[in-house]
This record gives sequence, C-alpha cells and structure tokens, in this order.
Amino acid sequence: MKFLLLAVDQNTPFNYFPVALQLAIAIGFVIVMMAATHLLGPKRKTHDKLANFESGIPSVGNARQPMAIKYFLVAILFVLFDVEVIFFYPYAVNFRELGKDGFYAVLLFVGFFFCGFFYIIKKKALEWED
Amino acid sequence: MKAIIATTILGIIMMFAGIMAKEKKPLTTLATILLVILLGVNIWDLTNTSSLAPESLFNNMLRIDRYALWFNTLMTGCTLLYVLLVGREIQKVGEHVAEYFALIFFILCGVYLLSCYNNLLILFIGIEIMSIPQYILAGSDKRNLKSSEASLKYFLMGAFTTGILLMGITLLYGATGSFNIVSFSFLQSDHLNTLALAGILFIMMAFSFKVSAAPMHMWTPDVYDGSPTAFTAYMATIVKAAAFFAFLRLFQVSFGSLSSHWTFVLAIITAATLLVGNLTAVFQQSVKRMLAYSSIAQAGFMLFAILAVNAVAWQGIIIYAVAYSIATIGIFTVLMKLKDYTYDGFNGLAKKEPLLAFVSTIFLFSLAGIPLTAGFMAKYYVLQALIQQGSLLWLVIFGLLMASISVYYYFRVIIAMYFKQGAAELNSPVSGTDKFMLVFTCFLVILLGIFPQLLLGNI
Amino acid sequence: MSQLVYLVPLFPLIGFLINGIGWRRIPKSLGGVIGSLAVLASFCVSLGIFFEVKDPSFHGPVIVQLFEFIHSGKLFIPFSFQVDSLSSLFLLIITGVGFLIHVYSTAYMHDDEGMVKYFSFLNLFVFSMLLLVLGGNYLVMFIGWEGVGLCSYLLIGFWFKNRDYTNAAKKAFIMNRIGDLGFLVGMLLILFNYGTLSYQDFFGKLQGAQPAGISSDTYNWIAICLFIGATGKSAQIPLYTWLPDAMAGPTPVSALIHAATMVTAGIYMIARSHVLYTLAPMTLHIVAIVGLATALFAATIAIRQYDIKKVLAYSTVSQLGFMFLALGVGAYTTAVFHVMTHAFFKALLFLGSGSVIHAMGGEQDIRKMGGLGKKLRTTQITFLIGCLAISGIPGFSGFFSKDEILAAAYAHDPVLYYLAAAAAMMTAFYMFRLYFLTFTGGFRGTEDQAHHLHESPAAMTIPLIILAILSIIGGYVGLPAVISEHHALGSFLSSSVTNISEHHLEAGTEWMLMGVSVTLSVLMIAVAYSVNKKPNFTPSTGLAKILENKWYVDELYDAVFVRPIQNFSAFMERFAERKGIDGIVNGVGKSVRWGSDRIRLLQTGQVGFYIFVMVLGMITLFALGFFWVKL
Repeated sequence: MKFLLLAVDQNTPFNYFPVALQLAIAIGFVIVMMAATHLLGPKRKTHDKLANFESGIPSVGNARQPMAIKYFLVAILFVLFDVEVIFFYPYAVNFRELGKDGFYAVLLFVGFFFCGFFYIIKKKALEWED
Repeated sequence: MKAIIATTILGIIMMFAGIMAKEKKPLTTLATILLVILLGVNIWDLTNTSSLAPESLFNNMLRIDRYALWFNTLMTGCTLLYVLLVGREIQKVGEHVAEYFALIFFILCGVYLLSCYNNLLILFIGIEIMSIPQYILAGSDKRNLKSSEASLKYFLMGAFTTGILLMGITLLYGATGSFNIVSFSFLQSDHLNTLALAGILFIMMAFSFKVSAAPMHMWTPDVYDGSPTAFTAYMATIVKAAAFFAFLRLFQVSFGSLSSHWTFVLAIITAATLLVGNLTAVFQQSVKRMLAYSSIAQAGFMLFAILAVNAVAWQGIIIYAVAYSIATIGIFTVLMKLKDYTYDGFNGLAKKEPLLAFVSTIFLFSLAGIPLTAGFMAKYYVLQALIQQGSLLWLVIFGLLMASISVYYYFRVIIAMYFKQGAAELNSPVSGTDKFMLVFTCFLVILLGIFPQLLLGNI
Repeated sequence: MSQLVYLVPLFPLIGFLINGIGWRRIPKSLGGVIGSLAVLASFCVSLGIFFEVKDPSFHGPVIVQLFEFIHSGKLFIPFSFQVDSLSSLFLLIITGVGFLIHVYSTAYMHDDEGMVKYFSFLNLFVFSMLLLVLGGNYLVMFIGWEGVGLCSYLLIGFWFKNRDYTNAAKKAFIMNRIGDLGFLVGMLLILFNYGTLSYQDFFGKLQGAQPAGISSDTYNWIAICLFIGATGKSAQIPLYTWLPDAMAGPTPVSALIHAATMVTAGIYMIARSHVLYTLAPMTLHIVAIVGLATALFAATIAIRQYDIKKVLAYSTVSQLGFMFLALGVGAYTTAVFHVMTHAFFKALLFLGSGSVIHAMGGEQDIRKMGGLGKKLRTTQITFLIGCLAISGIPGFSGFFSKDEILAAAYAHDPVLYYLAAAAAMMTAFYMFRLYFLTFTGGFRGTEDQAHHLHESPAAMTIPLIILAILSIIGGYVGLPAVISEHHALGSFLSSSVTNISEHHLEAGTEWMLMGVSVTLSVLMIAVAYSVNKKPNFTPSTGLAKILENKWYVDELYDAVFVRPIQNFSAFMERFAERKGIDGIVNGVGKSVRWGSDRIRLLQTGQVGFYIFVMVLGMITLFALGFFWVKL
C-alpha cells in the first residue's frame, strides 16, 4: 500500500486510483446485490401482482397515448417564462444598490421578454383550437 | 462589438417580419438586405479596431482582436453569398421562411461569440447559440421523416457532447480556478496536473464532435443527408468553420504551450478523420452523402492547423474556412438544382447545362485541391503550417495520400457530368441571377486561388 | 559597341518570333527577307564589335551582364555575355556565313510549303549559337548548347513526313543528349568544386593557388566530362554517327549546322576552357588521340560513299578530327584558325552540292551524275576551289590552317604527324573523287534530269562566289612562320587564347613538311583522276565493302546498345510495368475500395451505436493521452 501513499504526493493519474477503486466497489456492490436478490428471493407471479397500480382504482385503457403537440408547446412556454422570472429575484433583493443602471438593464430584459411574448401571441402559439 | 448586438436585433426583426409578411419572396429580399447591413456593421467594427491592442469587453469575457473581427466579416460575407445563392431554395423548405432566416442570424451571433470569447462560459454559450438553431433547421422539413430523424439525432448527440464540454470546463475550473482562457495558472508551469489534462481532452472531444472529427463524426452523414439541402450547405460550411476557429483559439492561445501533452491524441484523431472521411466517401452513391463524408475529410485537413500551433495556422484556418465554404456552398447550390442526388443524377449534365457543369467542376477542383483554385491554397497553407511545426511529418504524408484519394470521388462527379450518357433532370430552370451568382462564386474560387493574400492582407 | 552585344542575339530572336508566330500567314518571300535581314543586322553589329576588339586600345574581355539569372544562397549565376577576341571572331563566322546561307536558302527553299517555319528555325539556331559563343559562363553556354541541339533536331526532321528523316533527327538529338550529359556533369563538378560557373572567376581560381581539398585529378575529371560533351556536339568518336545521318535535313541546314557552326561548338568550348585543359595534360592526350582517330576513320569511310552529301558529312567529321588533334597538341589558335577556314570551304562545298542537288531535281547519288560542269559552270568552279582548299593545295585557305595543324602535330610527336598526313592524303583523294565523278565525264542520269539541268539562280550562286573568294583569301590571316613572322590571327586571339608553346620547328623542317603534304595531296588528286576517269560501280567486296558500310559502326551500336535497351524495356514493360507497377497501383485502388466497403458498414444509423462508438473512442483516446509516451 505504500506506493499508493507515495503516489498521492505526485500529481499523476495514480492520484485517482482511489476513485477507480471506489468505482469498482460501487459497481461490484450493485452487481452482487442484483444477483443476490435474483437468486435468493422467492418468485410468485400472480395476475394481481403484475397489474399496474393506479391509486387503487382499476386501470382503464393504455397509459401510453400520444399527447397533442400543443400540450408540450404550452408546457415549454410556461417553463420558459417561469424560469426567466427567476432573474427577478436577485434584482428584487438588491435593486436599491443596483440603482439606475440596474433598472435599465432589467427594463431591457423585460423588453426582450415582451418581444418574445408578443411573438408567441402573434404566432398563435397559445391558442388551443386551430 | 456592435455586430453581436446587431445580429441579435436583426434576427428579432426577421422574426417579426415573418408575422407581418404574407408572401415568402419579400422575406428573402429582407434577409438579404439585413445581411448587407450586418456586413456593414462588421466592417465598421473592423475599421474601428486597431490591429495592435486587443480590446476586452464585458468584464474580460470577450477579447476582440483583428483576427476575430476579420473572421467575422468573412463569415458574414460567406453567409451573404449563401443567401444569395440558395435563398430561393430556403423558401421551398417550408412555411416558416422568416424563422429560418432569423435562426441563421442567431447562428451568426454564436459564430461571433466563438470568434472572440475569452472565457470558457462564453465558449459554452456561443456553442449552444450556434448549435440549437441548427437542430431546428435540420428538422425544418417537418413532413419529411428523414429530416425529423436528422434533427433528433443531432440534438441527442449534441446534448451528449454538451455534457462532455461542460465536464471538460468543470475539470479545468477545478484545476485552475478560472474560466478565463488567458489566465490559466498552469500556463506558467510546465507541470500539468491530471485534472487539467483530462479537462483539455474532454474539451478536445467536444470540439471534435462539433467539427465532425473521428470518432465523433458518426452523426455527420446522417444529419447532413437528412437535413434539407439548403441548410446542410450552411451547417457544413460556416458553422463548421466557426467551430474550427474557436477550437484553434482555445488550443493555441490557451493550451498552446502545453501542446506536447495533447498533440499526439489530436494527431490520432486527425489521421482517423482523414482515413474515415476519405475512405467512406469513395463508396457512396449519393452525391449529397459523399459531400457529407468529404466535409469530414476536409475537417481532417483543417485539424492540421490546430496541430500546428504557429502563426501560419491562423492564416491557414482563415483561408481554409473561406475556400472550403465558398466551394461547398457552390456545389450544394448546383446539387439543389438537380432532381436526383445520386451520381447518376449528374449524368450528361454538361450537355444539358454546360454552365452548371463547368462551375461545379471548378468547385470540385477546389475541394480536391487542384492548383489555381482556392482549395489548393488552403491545403497549401495548412500543410505548410504543419510542416513548420516539424514533428508530424508522417501526418503530412498521410494527408497528401488521402488528398489523392479524395480526387477519386470528386472526379467521379465530373466524369458523370462530362463523359457519361444520360439526361440530368433539373428541379427548376436555372435563372439568370442564379447563373450570375454561380459564375461570381466560381470567379471568387479562382481569384482566391491566385491571390490568397487577399484574405490575409487585412490582418 | 561591345556594350550593345546583346543586340547580336536579339535580332535573330526577333526574327524567330516574327516568323515563328506568323508562319501560317507571312508570305514566303517576306519570311525569307525577315530571316535574312535579322542575321544581316547581327552581322553588322558583330562587325562593329570585331573592329572594336581588334583595336589595340581594347583591353581584356568585356563582361555585359543582362540580368541576374540564378541567385540562390551563395550561388550566383548572372545572365552575362563575354566579349573578347575569341567570341568576336566566332560572332563573325556565325553571322557572316549564316547570312550567306540564309540568302542561299531563300532560293533553295522557295518551293517548300514550310519556308517561313524553316526560316524561323534557322533564326532560332543562329540565336542559340550566338548565346553559346557569347555566354560569360558555362550555364549560358549550356543554354545555347542545348538550343543548337534542339534546332538541329527541328531542322534535320524538317521534312518530317519521311520516317527516315525523323529517325535521323531523333538519332542526332539522342547522341547529342548523351554528350550533353557529360557537359552537364562537368559543369556541376566545376560548380561543386569552385562555386562558380563564370569563365573569369573559374579560370582565375585555376590560375591562382590550388584550393585545399581539390586534387589535380579534378582537373582531368572536369576536362574529360566537358570533352564528352564536345564529342557529342562536334561528332567525334564514339558519338559521331549522328552527323552523316543528319544530312536528311535541307542542304543549307547541313551547310550551316553540320559544317560551319554547330559542330564547331566543341572546338570553341575547349578553346574557351584552354586554361583548364592546359592543366590537364592527360585529357589533352585523349583529345589528340580521339581527334586523330576520328580524322582517319571518317576519311576511310568517305572514300567509298556515293551520296554527295554523305561524302561531305564524313569529310566534316574528318576535318573536325583535325581540329581536335590541334587542340590535343595544345595548338588552340590553330584549331580556331581551321574552324574559320573550314567554315568557309565546307559551307561552300555544301552549298555547291545543294546547287547540284537542286539542278538534279533532288538526286544525291553521284553514280547518277557526271559531266555537270558543262551546265553548272559557276557551281563547278566554286566547288573546285572548295576541293582545292580542303585538300590543302598551296594558295588556298585550307593549306595554311591544315599545314599549321600538321606542323604542330609534328612538333608534338612525329607519329601524330604521319597519321595525320595520311588522313590529309585521303581527304584529297575522296574530295577529288567526288569532284571528278560529279562534274567531269559523261552524264549518267536519266533523260529527264539531263533536260532539267540548269545553273542555280543568283541568290544561290552569289553566296557561292563570296564563299569561294573567302576560301581562297581566308588563309592569309595566318601565314606559316617560315613565310612571315606575323601571324595575324594568332596575335588577334592572343588576348584570350594562346597556344601551349612548343619548341619551334626549324625552317628547313617546316619547308620539308609542307612539301611532303603538298606532294602527297597532288599525287592523290592525280590518282583520283586516273581512277575515276572511267568510273565503274561494280558491287564492292572486301575492305571496300566494309568502308561502304561505314565499318558497320551503326550496326555495332545497334547490336551493343540499341537492341539490348529495347529488349530490356520490352521486358520492363511486360513484367515490371504490367505486373509490378500496375499491380501496385490497382492494388492500392482495390484496397481503398475494400476498406471503404467495410468502414461504410459502421454507419448503422442508430444513435445508440453512434454514442457507443464515441464513448469507446474517447476512452481509447484518453488512454492514449494519459499513458502513451508523451511526445
């Protein structure tokens, strides 16, 4: 084990030998556990056990139905605008310190923001019906 | 850095124009005008910046020098040429013509950022700004399954690579505590710690993906083949050139003094790229797909400049970028005029459209690197750069061998046009403007083949 | 005047360009006038230069540098001309005789389709020859050297529709190229050892202290290499066979190139390099032996030839042999003297033969001639003068120069003298055999030819007359020492080239030598007369047959060099080329396609696989990057 300690002093790939060791142990642990459960655990397959569990209500139809693309569009636009609002938090916290420059910067930001909003309205991206 | 702001605003104007306009044609005209304005802004930038002192902007996030500005101007000029040549084809791709143009403006924004970044974060942002519009453009032909497939593939693999790039940046930050590319602490010492080397290699892999170098090239044929041809022409040229410029900037300015650590890996990548690109192109039946492989092969040559790490490399990359872009845009323009993209589709073109056949011959000559065309000068400069570097002569010889293979598949097209019987069918008649633009492009190819200094005199 | 020396080659160059570019459009007579005028203009300038050089106030050679030719590192070779007595004399011979031949050609070639083209080639030839003699360094000389080779090729093959003629042209070119290789090697040796090609620098270094690291062998090697070049250009053993075949060209070409100028290039070159040759006595010995052997050998062949031009061709080879003999015994100015007189009488003889051929409607076989003197009076008289001159009859130019050579040979070694005298004897015999067979006796040709016989036009006879006069008086510039102490030519040339001084012959000895050679010549003329009074052309046997077939040298070369090379190249073509080279080339193509076919399959179209390959590649590259020996 001495060479490991020596290796620590120098800046070589050997520095990362512990990492590799950790990786090997982690992967090995997973493999061992999976194999163990497979081999040791008893298997009893009944119809009830294999059925989808949906809050106790009997399942109806297939869950994997294609969604309307509009759904994703609205969702993505929501996320977009929602995330952009995050930028207001730092500004709100110290808007006094940022003074006029900060104000103009945020104004510009809101301006672009507004452009985008105007654009999606004009593109009728938010209208559900075609 | 007025051009970065200008291209953003112009892109937005383009988007809103799409809402107003009822027809497609005025949009192309508008895009052309806006590009001319953008070119003007670039030239304004160029004339306002002295060649001596690089200018730092945004808390040293950007560092603007003459190389970068000149590169931007050239790329904007190439984009203008591209729009003039294939503007009508863009109209045919789909309904959202204004958006396509707007995306091209945004791509240009990414190109500008990549040419003058001084900070790894800006590099990341630039690459993303440049890439994301491409994912959209690749899928712009929505009714076409291959187009959607190309878009999805490109996006998935691009996202994967973004992860790699971020990993590299992270490791570098961990090793040096800085994002600034000129103040990495390891630049001072010969001793390179493992984290930093891993970071450099990760970043190299990410760049390899963007420039489609082996083994990260697998996306290229599928994406280039699936995307609408009009956008393939753009993706394969200007975008790639910008990625190369960024690649060179980082690896020369920042990692140049450590080149002994990464040269070997990059040399292997280069050799593999040349081999895969050239060999695979030989067997293709579709000219479009062949051009995709040829773009991989040409990337191999551009990698020479990055390996060289010297002053000639800068000149080489600029000449190569322009020469390759012009010739490729030209040959793609001809390709778009044809119905059939296979080699057989070119049969007998010389009889039917002598001018079209002639200009494509010149473009192919340039791609193959025949003297008196820009392509020859480009190859000459990058090879010279690598020869000056000195330690990689085997790669020079290998490159020359591969260049001779490339002649085979480029000349197959010429043989099809001139010596094979057949009736090449056109998509649409070739208009006078098209002919004029093609001849002009052809003229540029030859002009730059004789006076390559025109591209360097301004630096 | 000597500063204007560039005008001398410039005029023929302009003539060449005008005629060469417009040869389809320029009318024939105009083409001839342009060509002749160009040479006349050079002649005038040459005359001016000659008188300037002749003036006692002229000191040393004048170097006229036109431009930097090659400048690379330490190597500097200017494109320069050197004007001194030697080059100015050659200028006169080339442009003077050249002009006469141009004038003659205007009449001789008048019926030919390509006359303008012919004149452009002729001008180009004169240009190259002038470059050769004017060059201030070996490189410029080499340009001219190659230029005359090229022109010779163009002009011998001028009637290229005849296959034999083109073969003759090729033969001349290849033989010359073999010699040129020697010249080139010699030049490189000079450059390598002395770092200069300029005559002045090179000879200066030779005469100065011997540089360290250069043994005296070097002199011999350089001299031998240059001499090999001279054997090619001046038709000496073993490279002489092209000259007789070169008679395929138009007769004026034979006169200009293969008698008066081009073949003297080798003499000029050695006379120019006399400083070097004097330092290399072994090479001089070789030069003398080769020259003497050629003189004898060619003379024997000439005795049994029936083609009027072939006889003259072999006589040229023989006379050139005399000149090399002179060079070999160190009598450089004597060689130059003979070049000059030979230029006069050999040009005269060739032009005279041209006149005969013209009259006979293209017939060259002397067996079909005879008694032409009645119809072609001027030609006969001038031809006779030429024959007398070449045979060395006192009072004619050939006597003076040839006698000087014989005397020099005797002074060097009497054995050389005896052999040379034998060659001179044969010369008298075959020349008068030619004369008697052609001009005296009864006509042996067809009726048609007999009717057709006529004297040539003035444009042809006037040059003949001028050359005849020159053939008589040309020798008086170099009177033998026993007659006059003042050797005009020798003292003129003394500023650029002098003989290696031998011990002087006593007056009595010299008179005796003269008497012997003259007697022998006269005797031979008488023999020629008696033998050919009643010509009889039965197929010859024995030695005569061998002579008729030129000692079978062509056949020998064919068997020893040409055939083996052809067989070897056929072998290479069949095996090395087809199997080896083609196999490699096709193999490369095949392997590229094979590799392409395999690599193509990697492109499965599945993103998962792509990413897998990417990751695999990255791991490999990382391994390389970290653990490979750092570059």
